[in-house]
Amino acid sequence: MGAASQSPTPKLSDATRAVHRHYQELAQTKKLYSFLTIGILSVILVAALWFANASNSGKFIDRLPYFFDFVLNFLPDDPLEIFRALFDLPSPYADGSLKYDYEEGRHYLFGDLYLPEYFYEMLVTLNIAFVSTLLGGGIAFVLCFFAASNLVGSKAVRFVVRRIMELLRAFPEIVIAGLLAAILSLGPIAAIAAVSIHTIGALGKLFFEVVENADMKPDEGLRAAGASWIERVRFAIVPQVLPNFTSYALLRAEINVRASTIIGAVGGGGIGEVFRLSLSRDHAAKTYAIILLLFVTIVAVDQLSGWLRRKMVGDQAFQFGA
Amino acid sequence: MLKLQNVNRRFGDKLAVKNVNLSIASGEMVGVIGQSGAGKSTLLRMINQLIATSDGAIEFDGTKVSSLKGAELRNWQRDCAMIFQQFNLVPRLDVLANVMLGRLNRRNTFSSLIKSFTEEEQLEALEALERLSIAQTALQRAGTLSGGQQQRVAIARALMQQPKMILADEPIASLDPRNAKVVMDSLKAINEDDGITVITNLHTLDTARNYCERIIGMAHGEVVFDGPPEALTTEVARRIYGAEGLKDAFSESMTSTSLEDDYKTPAQKRRGPYRDADEAHVTLN
Repeated sequence: MGAASQSPTPKLSDATRAVHRHYQELAQTKKLYSFLTIGILSVILVAALWFANASNSGKFIDRLPYFFDFVLNFLPDDPLEIFRALFDLPSPYADGSLKYDYEEGRHYLFGDLYLPEYFYEMLVTLNIAFVSTLLGGGIAFVLCFFAASNLVGSKAVRFVVRRIMELLRAFPEIVIAGLLAAILSLGPIAAIAAVSIHTIGALGKLFFEVVENADMKPDEGLRAAGASWIERVRFAIVPQVLPNFTSYALLRAEINVRASTIIGAVGGGGIGEVFRLSLSRDHAAKTYAIILLLFVTIVAVDQLSGWLRRKMVGDQAFQFGA
Repeated sequence: MLKLQNVNRRFGDKLAVKNVNLSIASGEMVGVIGQSGAGKSTLLRMINQLIATSDGAIEFDGTKVSSLKGAELRNWQRDCAMIFQQFNLVPRLDVLANVMLGRLNRRNTFSSLIKSFTEEEQLEALEALERLSIAQTALQRAGTLSGGQQQRVAIARALMQQPKMILADEPIASLDPRNAKVVMDSLKAINEDDGITVITNLHTLDTARNYCERIIGMAHGEVVFDGPPEALTTEVARRIYGAEGLKDAFSESMTSTSLEDDYKTPAQKRRGPYRDADEAHVTLN
């Protein structure tokens, strides 16, 4: 039984009635804009789909029934072959051809102990991802403070740093890798450079947005105590933003695992490269072995980084205003 | 009638609220005092069921609210509106929208999600704002208002819930004395004019004395005092706040949030002077 319910027709002052009229006008305008936005977006969506279909070879629907033909024809001789290919064990179907020569790629560690080829290639790919996350993340960490409007007064500095970040993330890793491979030759080094460059741009933007949302009261406290800019960044800002930085960096590490896999397919080395080769050579067992390994690895990396994030950061660190 | 029976709340191995038994009649204005960490907030949050009880039962008019779930629980939360120290408004929404959010529980979810409120609801929200003399701010973003104004918006939102009871958790702890008085006067007026039960946590003794007809004192999770302000002697205050706390309290009298030197509060006019000068300025944090 609240105050409002006691009088069914509330008696408001003239001033409040004016406020209400104004509110209704505003609401009317907002509603109009919402409908317009939804209308325009629907038109764009329909047009875009129509355009995509028209520039397709136009056989999308016709070809749909053959969707599974490739998968059905691309089968290993028996399911165990996938695991023989995965662990580089001899195949009973061996005929001297590359298709069944699983032992060939073994990387002997010492004695008879070897690392199967695809595990080694997966390591190459993971290595690319983690090195580039560390390199790119480290540089992004340094850059981000110069892009944050709450820390840097000079518009020119912010402008330059932000444009640099935009430039670095403007091109997909695969484009940078193609460019660098032409200069640095093919292989993991070009891949690391490509993924790192993109990571600087991508993480840098996320980082400086975290910095801009930081609570500036500790900064004011240190400024009043005579601390220099770098000291204030170190002690007022870094402790606040570190949990979010860690979280974003781990997320980026996951993304970089996928990115360096794809780069492998265009000559960056690692699992992507052997995948492209075995697929194009019609080596079904090897291809499925790689898909299986990729799937397991990516799930494991995601789980591990999620676990690490919770462990290092804790849930409460993300509660705002805590 | 709100009844708490043997209510406990544990956080880990720490007992935050210990064996609380209370019954509060409809229409009462109750102040809960105690040092910080005494369990005041936990008690209020358990009544609203923002947090669950560990043991014991909370009943309202025969319904055991401490075991409600789903829609029934949300209905109960609508009936006992909550006001917070930090206002807990949606800063990016305008004031009128914030007030109308108090009505969510009584509305169709879909029409709420597309922010379509009826004309009556708009007028009711404006009436609630007018009652708290802040109708002119209705179209501003809530985050741009001063603390005192925001707390009044929060009270208007509570009124919009058409509650049976209002729980206020340190409603004036973040406000300057003048705004504190406006907010406390509003709560008192709602209690008297609408007959809505008001239970409020306060950290200042003098505010509790001025506005509440019943004071509950808590220490270390337990209720150590329950009675009218007149019975709250220095001796009792010592038990609530501890000897040390009380010493601090007296020495901190200049931080009092009370303006009673400048203003006569309604409660004083009604009840007449009952305090001795010694106790007039006790303030505790």
